[in-house]
Amino acid sequence: MELQWGTIFAAAGAAMAAVLAGIGSALGVGMAGQAGAGVVSEDPDRFGSCLLLQLLPGTQGIYGLLIAFVIATKAGLLSGGASISATAGLTLLLAAVPIAFGGLLSGIAQGKVAVSGINMIAKKPEEQGKAMLMTVMVETYAVLSLLISFLLVNGVRV
Amino acid sequence: MIVQMKRMTLVAHKDDEAHLLQALQATQSVEILEGGVQEAGQAALEHAEDNVQKLSEALATLRPFGEKQGLFAAQPEASVEQIGKALPAAIDFSDKLETIARDLASTKSEIEKNEALIASLRPWTNFPADMQTFQNVCGVKYFTGLIAASDVEKLEDIDACAEYQLFNEGVVRTCVVACPEDEAKSVANFLKSLDWTDFVFPKRDGTPALAVKELTELNRELSEKKSDLEQALAKEASGSAKMVESALDAAVIERDRAAAAAELATTSATFQLEGWVPEDKTDLVEKAILSVTDAYYLSVRDPAEGEIPPSVVENKKFATPFEQVTNLYSRPDPKGIDATPYMAPFYVLLFGMMLSDTGYGIVLAILTALYIKLKKPTGMSGGFAHVLFWGGLSTIVWGVLVGTFFGMDFDTLFGTTDVFPLFLDPMSNPIGMLILCFGLGVIHILFGVGLKMKLSFSRGDWQTAIFDNLSWILIVCGLILYAVPSAVEGIPAAVGTAGLIAAAAGALMILLFKGRNKKNPIMRTISGLGELYQVTGFLSDILSYARLFALGIATGVIASVFNELCSMLMGSPVLVLKILGILVACALLVALHAFNIAINTLGAFVHCARLQYVEFYGKFYETGGRAFRPLGYHTKHVRITDEPSSMSD
Repeated sequence: MELQWGTIFAAAGAAMAAVLAGIGSALGVGMAGQAGAGVVSEDPDRFGSCLLLQLLPGTQGIYGLLIAFVIATKAGLLSGGASISATAGLTLLLAAVPIAFGGLLSGIAQGKVAVSGINMIAKKPEEQGKAMLMTVMVETYAVLSLLISFLLVNGVRV
Repeated sequence: MIVQMKRMTLVAHKDDEAHLLQALQATQSVEILEGGVQEAGQAALEHAEDNVQKLSEALATLRPFGEKQGLFAAQPEASVEQIGKALPAAIDFSDKLETIARDLASTKSEIEKNEALIASLRPWTNFPADMQTFQNVCGVKYFTGLIAASDVEKLEDIDACAEYQLFNEGVVRTCVVACPEDEAKSVANFLKSLDWTDFVFPKRDGTPALAVKELTELNRELSEKKSDLEQALAKEASGSAKMVESALDAAVIERDRAAAAAELATTSATFQLEGWVPEDKTDLVEKAILSVTDAYYLSVRDPAEGEIPPSVVENKKFATPFEQVTNLYSRPDPKGIDATPYMAPFYVLLFGMMLSDTGYGIVLAILTALYIKLKKPTGMSGGFAHVLFWGGLSTIVWGVLVGTFFGMDFDTLFGTTDVFPLFLDPMSNPIGMLILCFGLGVIHILFGVGLKMKLSFSRGDWQTAIFDNLSWILIVCGLILYAVPSAVEGIPAAVGTAGLIAAAAGALMILLFKGRNKKNPIMRTISGLGELYQVTGFLSDILSYARLFALGIATGVIASVFNELCSMLMGSPVLVLKILGILVACALLVALHAFNIAINTLGAFVHCARLQYVEFYGKFYETGGRAFRPLGYHTKHVRITDEPSSMSD
């Protein structure tokens, strides 16, 4: 049987977007969760604030999922239907690069800032807003990666 | 709007001090400054602090017994007088509670101590003699201790005149060694060479077996006492949390007043109060003083040079909640401008664009409206609830404009074709959407520059306004106009030329006048060039608005992904599986969309705040004000119903 390179490339792209961005988020949320648990063990009232900060590095994984889904739909992977050209498939794979690596690295970096923010909340609970803002600054780059990945995927003709 | 602050000085008789402070506290509009230390006041303050401490501890004791408060449950309402009346009873109650809690804690620790004792004596239960008296034999030295089972054989090598006996089996064995007193030293050294730990019997009479029995009996009694105390605590606790909470609020009100009193400057017969009061509240304050006494001196004046007043803002009903968003960043400088009324409409507009789903907007607006209506939140949470409510309304409108409802197209929902989206579809026309985002960004940023211009003009600094601000408006608008004819057909090229001229004029202004306080023309041009490099800053600011689009598709596409997943579940050809699938899919849809709303509302909130703080406030906002902390009712559990103007005296 002849290999359907287009479909294979597209599936690789979708998988890469979901996996790498997911790893970034998992690491980020994990780090923040550990720090949060430490703070909450001292002061259970801080749970809400810590949870919000822990949640912030989780968006990269969602963005990755989003791009993976858009690629899969575009390449007909979900319906198991038409095959696509190798060019289109490879383009979809490359289109997944921004969110895959942008998500991976920004997720980790954002997790680190979230950890610092949680430490800040432990000392100065009233400064929660500032801790959240600093954490969100990192997310900007995940958002930009998402945008470019989306525009590229959207532009592919199959 | 920034409210002007006045510095007030009040001198009055000491006899009226307590009543005057009470009246001023009721106005909630005077921040009292530290004037000195009053010895008599210190004692009263300590007493008040004690009360707060006691009630806080009582509340902590009660917490495990308290009933959960619903999310929408409103705070109880009361007047200061009402909660104040309950204070003495609550103090008595908290004393009683503390006695029980202390009893309970000591009982628990005694039980634990006994248990440890029992555990250490258990290996000795075969020891036949009285623990205290067995050593009272003349000329014989006893060693009691624990020895590792592996070393027991080595005991055979002990001095001929020494004897040993073991009392249990196991890894660690209890052992007594006896020897003549003059051999004690060598035996002790011998034991040290083994895996031997000395054991000292506790100070109890009788054999270890008896002690274990007694202690077990004692612990049984203590456990009964413990459960009695726990029951007593639960009985006291049931339903009393509310009472203690409101009493704690009353105690805090009293403590604040005592703290203010302790810091007043005094003479033998009078006291002097220095403080800040908002300009529009001066009449209220004077009336409050008059209601207590007419023997007073009051002066209200503008702040002098070097006196930094607290920053107080007042806004229209719509913009007031958005003050909380500004406060997250920083309070305005009291001499600057309050950015909140300018920021609020943009906040609503941009928030809606990021969430941009009519269904989500409806959910958000209804939930926040219910929360506001039922819970009546104040302060920070109240502000944010209102902000999210307006954001929800804006989201509904944007959802219609871009045509999504819970991730579905309006067209599929209503069965129409090509009616929706009313404005543009970001999926089929992403470039159009990007241009819209950047356009909004340009308006937002230039509005900020315009505000800076206005501020400079109002300070009489027309040079800054023209050369540093207007020049940038010219450059940005000019460059955009320059690009228009090449991007859009049918626009005459003259528009582009005009734009180029405007941009060049702006750049020239900066180049020539940026360093206007420098004499050297070369230095002047260099600082102008440095300023011109700022154009990259404007570019990245504008590009930053691409997040509006990205967050918009993040919401919309994820919602449609969820819908698609659930429709797959419903698609089974087998009837039973289909029914099952529909049931599961419905439950899943609710959960998934709730998750999506939560995470994207959080995202829209913080990203929108970022656009305001960095891109908008960065252009004109002057920070650094400190919060106004008037003597008032800073309650946590009860909403005080007294109107600020009415007297509680």
